[in-house]
Amino acid sequence: MSGKPKVVVFCCNWSVYPGLQLSRMLDDGIDATVEPIVTMCSGRVSPELVVEAFSRGAWGVMVTGCPPEECDHDGNYSARRRMTLLRNTLEQLGISPERIAMDWFSAGESAELKSAVSEFTEQISQLGPMKSVQELA
Amino acid sequence: MSKPKVALYWCASCGGCEEAVVDLAEDLLEVVEAVDIVFWPVALDFKKKDVQAMKDGEIALTFINGAIRTGEQKEMVELLRRKSGLVIAFGSCAHLGGIPGLGNFYDRESAFERAYLTSPSTVNPEGVLPVTEADVDGFELTLPEFWNTVHTLDQVIDVDYYLPGCAPPADLLMEAITAVLTGNLPEKGAVLAPAKSLCDSCPRSDSKPLKISISKLKRPHEVEPDPEKCFLEEGLICLGVSTRSGCGERCINVNMPCRGCFGPMDGVLDAGAKAVSAIASILELEDEENATEEDILELLRPIADPAGLFYMYSLPSSLLRRSQ
Repeated sequence: MSGKPKVVVFCCNWSVYPGLQLSRMLDDGIDATVEPIVTMCSGRVSPELVVEAFSRGAWGVMVTGCPPEECDHDGNYSARRRMTLLRNTLEQLGISPERIAMDWFSAGESAELKSAVSEFTEQISQLGPMKSVQELA
Repeated sequence: MSKPKVALYWCASCGGCEEAVVDLAEDLLEVVEAVDIVFWPVALDFKKKDVQAMKDGEIALTFINGAIRTGEQKEMVELLRRKSGLVIAFGSCAHLGGIPGLGNFYDRESAFERAYLTSPSTVNPEGVLPVTEADVDGFELTLPEFWNTVHTLDQVIDVDYYLPGCAPPADLLMEAITAVLTGNLPEKGAVLAPAKSLCDSCPRSDSKPLKISISKLKRPHEVEPDPEKCFLEEGLICLGVSTRSGCGERCINVNMPCRGCFGPMDGVLDAGAKAVSAIASILELEDEENATEEDILELLRPIADPAGLFYMYSLPSSLLRRSQ
């Protein structure tokens, strides 16, 4: 195993992120690097962004959105379908579905978010880093 | 004045791209009127040594088709790169990895095991596997190295332009040759095909509803599609939404949904992930609020081989390139 787990958390600006700002840092108390990336809706988190995170060394990616009926754009449902299909797709490439988490939080649920990130980090630290893209041959 | 020199070469490919050149039909006569074809192993009897004897940059334009998987292919494309002013990656395999790129689901060891040991038609009682050097009756025989991973052309050499398609259509090939002859070339690195998606030029786009939503996916063998109707509207996955136009809608016109051979539009980093995004976005469940993970999996069940479908032509060019 090489280095600390690296986790990217895509946070919806309208639910999770205000809560995140009020909370302590997501990686406080855990031996990992957790990078939050704010989006305007979980529906903006395209599978391409998740794959790019993996290609740049993320061990796991968590996508967070508003709970059912709380997203004004139904982007949360779209994100859930996309992440499920992406998991199915990447599993065929030997990438554990456990590396992609999709969860829903309301504004103010920062303690729940922090504990979900901590649990996710624990899970992917068992999986270790992804293999890097191989050079020629 | 001597005519510009043109070379054509093939690597890991099926030969369809060579057919595409022949598909120029009478136009091929115009082409050979304007250029000298100095190397084309499938059709003309020039040898590697003839290319080696040329000056660097002496060939004006080289079309290379096929993905790259062996040491020999690497050596040949590096030689042609050195001798050529311009190199065009010709066809899906050189551009994105193509069908041979599906080999990246496996590795060298498992490919050899299947091809030389376990496939039903194989008789190999001594379990002989290819090696790069062997001594046979005092003679040293060599074979090119077979790589673990299939690569796109631009992962091996510098590429000036891309002509997509499986195989590229004759009109785009002719346009590319004309652009080179007249010096009317776009910026280096451009894909020589329209920037729009296939949906934009699809003859069925008139029947496409403003908003598509699919609540039940079907597989192509389960329905006989209406030749006038948008495939997505019928619940069939068509990758025209995330695929570049320019193919001439050849598959659509024979009632077959797009499988993405023209690759993604400009700016897309990962064609497969883009297709995952596009298709997942237009699916819907009746009771989305109360849906469980199992409901979503059930909705997605008809996509039996998602990676094989979404990365059918593009796995080596994807951000992850191969299986872990």
